[in-house]
Amino acid sequence: MPLKHDSAEKHVTGEAVYIDDIAVQEGLLVGRVVYSPHARARILSCDLEAAKKIAGVHAVLAAKDIPGHNQMGPVVKDEPCLAEVEVTFIGQAVVLIAAETEEQCRQAEKLIRISYEPLEPILDIESAIAKDTLLGPQRTMNRGDATEAMKSAPHVIRGELCTGAQEHWYLETQSCLCVPGEASEMMVYSSTQHPSETQALVAEVLDLRRNDVVVEVRRIGGGFGGKETEGNHTACWAALLAHATGRPVKIRLFRADDMIMTGKRHRYLIRYEAGFDNDGKLEAVKLEFNSDGGAATDLSFAIMERTMLHADNAYYVPNMSIVARVLKTNLPSNGAFRGFGGPQAIAAMETIIDRIARILRKDSADVRFMNFYGIDSRNVTHYGQTVENNPLFMLYERIMQSSDYVKRREAAAAFNVSHEFVKRGIAMTPVKFGISFTTTFLNQAGALVAVYLDGTVLVNHGGIEMGQGLNTKMQSIAALEFGIHPSAVKVNATNTSKVPNTSATAASAGADLNGMAVRNAAIAIKERVAEGVAQLFSEQYPGVPSVKQHIVFVDGRISDAQHPDRTIAFADAMVQMNLRRISLSASGFYSTPNIGWDKIKGWGKPFHYYAFGMAVTEVEVDLLTGHHVIIRTDILHDVGDSLNEPIDLGQIEGGYVQGLGWCTTEEIRWDAKGNLMTHSPDTYKIPGVRDIPMDFRVQLLKEVPNPETIRNSKAVGEPPFMLALSAWLAIKDAVSAVRNHEVEPDFAIPATNELIVMSVEKLRNLCDA
Amino acid sequence: MRYTAVDSCLVFLPMVHGKQIITVENLMDADGSLHPVQQALVDTYGSQCGFCTPGIVMTLFALYKSGHTPTRTEIDDALVGNLCRCTGYRPIVDAGLALAVHTDRKDKFSRTEEETIVLLRQIKHESIRYESCNQLYHRPATLHEALVLRRNSLDALVVSGGTDVALRVTKKHELLPEILDLSAIPELKEVVSSSESIVLGAGLSLNDVRPAVRISFAALAEMLDVFGSKQIRNLGTLGGNLGSASPIGDSLPVLMAYGAIVRVMNCDGTRDIPITEFITGYRTTACRPDELITSVILPRPSASVIVRSFKISKRQDLDISTVSAGFAVQLDKKNCVETCILAFGGMAAQTKRAVSVEKFLAGKNWTRDVVEQAASIVKNDFSPITDARAGADFRLIAARNLILKFWISTQQG
Ligand SMILES: Cc1cc2nc3c(=O)[nH]c(=O)nc-3n(C[C@H](O)[C@H](O)[C@H](O)COP(=O)(O)OP(=O)(O)OC[C@H]3O[C@@H](n4cnc5c(N)ncnc54)[C@H](O)[C@@H]3O)c2cc1C
Repeated sequence: MPLKHDSAEKHVTGEAVYIDDIAVQEGLLVGRVVYSPHARARILSCDLEAAKKIAGVHAVLAAKDIPGHNQMGPVVKDEPCLAEVEVTFIGQAVVLIAAETEEQCRQAEKLIRISYEPLEPILDIESAIAKDTLLGPQRTMNRGDATEAMKSAPHVIRGELCTGAQEHWYLETQSCLCVPGEASEMMVYSSTQHPSETQALVAEVLDLRRNDVVVEVRRIGGGFGGKETEGNHTACWAALLAHATGRPVKIRLFRADDMIMTGKRHRYLIRYEAGFDNDGKLEAVKLEFNSDGGAATDLSFAIMERTMLHADNAYYVPNMSIVARVLKTNLPSNGAFRGFGGPQAIAAMETIIDRIARILRKDSADVRFMNFYGIDSRNVTHYGQTVENNPLFMLYERIMQSSDYVKRREAAAAFNVSHEFVKRGIAMTPVKFGISFTTTFLNQAGALVAVYLDGTVLVNHGGIEMGQGLNTKMQSIAALEFGIHPSAVKVNATNTSKVPNTSATAASAGADLNGMAVRNAAIAIKERVAEGVAQLFSEQYPGVPSVKQHIVFVDGRISDAQHPDRTIAFADAMVQMNLRRISLSASGFYSTPNIGWDKIKGWGKPFHYYAFGMAVTEVEVDLLTGHHVIIRTDILHDVGDSLNEPIDLGQIEGGYVQGLGWCTTEEIRWDAKGNLMTHSPDTYKIPGVRDIPMDFRVQLLKEVPNPETIRNSKAVGEPPFMLALSAWLAIKDAVSAVRNHEVEPDFAIPATNELIVMSVEKLRNLCDA
Repeated sequence: MRYTAVDSCLVFLPMVHGKQIITVENLMDADGSLHPVQQALVDTYGSQCGFCTPGIVMTLFALYKSGHTPTRTEIDDALVGNLCRCTGYRPIVDAGLALAVHTDRKDKFSRTEEETIVLLRQIKHESIRYESCNQLYHRPATLHEALVLRRNSLDALVVSGGTDVALRVTKKHELLPEILDLSAIPELKEVVSSSESIVLGAGLSLNDVRPAVRISFAALAEMLDVFGSKQIRNLGTLGGNLGSASPIGDSLPVLMAYGAIVRVMNCDGTRDIPITEFITGYRTTACRPDELITSVILPRPSASVIVRSFKISKRQDLDISTVSAGFAVQLDKKNCVETCILAFGGMAAQTKRAVSVEKFLAGKNWTRDVVEQAASIVKNDFSPITDARAGADFRLIAARNLILKFWISTQQG
């Protein structure tokens, strides 16, 4: 029986504690952020005096009041904590207020006078390209000679693909509670995916040492990458106010403010060129990726790197040439979001395949199949990593069968012949996703495990529970290791004073890295206990001594496998160990082995392994309204030996549905001045219950263990997101049925009902012409 | 005893007078065992980050207390108002389906229901008046009292369900100095059905309107099916949708298609105003400051009239219309258009009929060619805007398409 989500009972009873639920005994102040109304402007003056006089207001702070560094950039130092001389996007923090009530904060805000000199902003990728506003050097990656190969290819296509921004829409908005301790200590309760970085930045803005700052995270109400770096801001703002007032300060962003102030999934403008033979086999691909980095660097380059490393998706491309640029615009700095640059790259490659199929009048699944990475040959990626343990053919065979793809494609074609205004489309898409941070040093994790004398275990690890079931997985890993019932294991709130210097919970690697660290900590304790218990048994049973190599931890007992009568309950053993002065706690550490690559050359082994999946989606599109329904989705996904099947299924379904949002209804619009127009659930539409597939069949690929990972599992957080591209291409397939698949429809991400209707309109007008 | 799920952020405190409030913290039994709804969500892994879970628990709880085994359609209908970003909803729907095993629908509340009813009955149905240092809140218990209050406090803001008004507090942080709350007036919650018409009380919740019009005014019922969410419809009223007179108020086009009449009242009497005259502009109506909307009269259409409603929105549920429509056509024996009403929402500053298209169609044969021709001139009737939801060009094409879609629907019997 897999474990239930370790917080499930607390979730359903409302007892689960999030930042806003933490009880503060007294003196709590509310923090508020005053942000820029201009996309780009010089700050001429800033008058805070009137605001400070409002009763109940305890602090009004501007950049000059920051005791330490006014700097938040996680990689490049180009992101001030509070804007000082200029503002570079609407929503950029300029002033902070702490007051006893929300009301007083708002009252004070009205009295703040900041005068700006507005400057011309850059608000879209095209203008950024025209003005060459690179955030950093352009990067390239090459294999073979794409230009030459393109010349000799029987067919060449060229095109452009725009993919939209996406708001994370974590249910818990950015939140932080800071409680000043004695002297300069600061306790930070933050909704962050990266507590160590939050700790570092709070220390830097306050000019403290890191050993004075503790960050604790019990759980976060959704992250999806949106709290990998963005959580730091709210934490630093709350910390500045708490430091200035000497009182606890809580900031919990309103939804609209959160949406206006924080970064999103990067928009991309992608230009592609592909050469292929008469069968549809790829001979050369050239890609130009332009991403909208927003006003600062944040993780844009790591994200772009992953884009470059996923431009192949699951296909062997003998000649590949990639150019990648991150452009600066006057919008909030974009950052991590589930998939981390992978979705945009894979959308481009799948668009290429889809177009090849249309041009050659083939089934796109056949074109995919013939281009898959091979098992023994054609199995090296464009950056030199060999695709090992390749399950693509197995997945393909199984899903084509279980989804009844061929028959259903025929049925859809027949349906389309007899329906003028409603069309059906179907598509199969694969995903191959590299697991590891591509910044190699980040692939490390720590844990601190304690065993108490009643036989209970407390696990601390560096990862963040954000709904993905990480703590549940850690709980079962520890329980299995100690051979005790999972109910005896508790996973603690993540705390930088217990496990220091951690990496973000990101890159789908939370369970891989922390699971190994927890296991290593448990093994260290078991080593000592085994020795102690062997000694104990040897004393109790004179004669043949017990040796530590034979001591086993099973069913809540510790026993000598050679002498089954020599056994002691786990808890009793702990008391005995304590009497013998044996340490019952240990830290564990893990770093992913055998990875590393040359970023400059773009060659090597950035990933520990790949996760794979495939999906078949069928849709029905109303051509007059652009509304679509997903008739059925089949997913077969590879998670190795699952650590917890229902939890992994939840990641796959949830990832797919979040991907659907990106591909269909989640449209971000800014006005001509750079104001976010879609800043509330009223105008920004994440999928609801009736947007999911009417028939949703998700299965795990069984009996394909992953070597060299925790319990032979595979990461699952991000890869399924990209399976939603099957729905996107199914919609495109339905639209292209309007002209019997003879014309390439205008298409982009998201395929909103508006885009669908406009695309159909264009095809129709072509017909008439 | 009736259990309804509502969005607490849209409820003014005095509205809950006389009601039992149940929150997620209440559901557990005294012995610590979970409510069947809670247990079902635990068993199906229906929570991931858990932040949306309390709302989902309460939605399913209301469904559980509805007294019968919910179908998938009913489960979806109930959950439309709950957003979850983690799960993809499948396990949540499964939790709803799993409730089928509890055929007796017993729980801690059913065991004490008799006592609760006694306690609730002890609370008198009476008018209440709340006054704080800067706010005055009237909650009259009869229509008469309401009309008198309306006359005496012309500046008081009328609140019916509060689903529009409450946003002024929660999103705009406005202070509403004086409120006249109509939610406790039984006269406004009546449905009177006769052979000529059906009269819907302005204070009926939209969810109660749905079944009342399902058979005779199906196009209205269908519009209400995609109106907000069940939690919104449990609070929101027809009177409120009319009172808002929003250009994207979803009931308005279809009410126009049915030739609805809005009944308003003041202390002196009653006026019946055809809906096209009732809506006078962007969020303005013919309702005078001393009047209240009391009901909507829907004349029963003759059998030869075909009425349909359409809503185009980015997301099909829980979304505001990009374009909405209420259409009616009456054809004579020769398949010619005798009368037609083509009312649109989202195309102008107010709900508006496509007059030139209507004129074009009058007397003409109701064929695809003619309808397509007619639809193509819809651009003469409107100059819609581009906003957060969609572009103006899309709105025009969508409006045109809907007219064709209407024609298609008339060909399918
Ligand atoms: C999440 C959400 C989703 C929504 N979805 C939709 C949707 O899909 N379609 C849609 O059309 N709307 C939608 N709305 C808006 C709102 O729910 C509707 O307009 C609803 O009909 C308002 O009714 P109410 O009773 O709640 O109005 P209230 O908020 O109580 O009042 C609205 C206005 O009408 C006036 N008023 C109310 N009753 C009377 C009366 N008897 N006499 C005179 N004036 C009166 C009030 O003074 C006020 O100006 C949504 C709102 C929310 C919050």
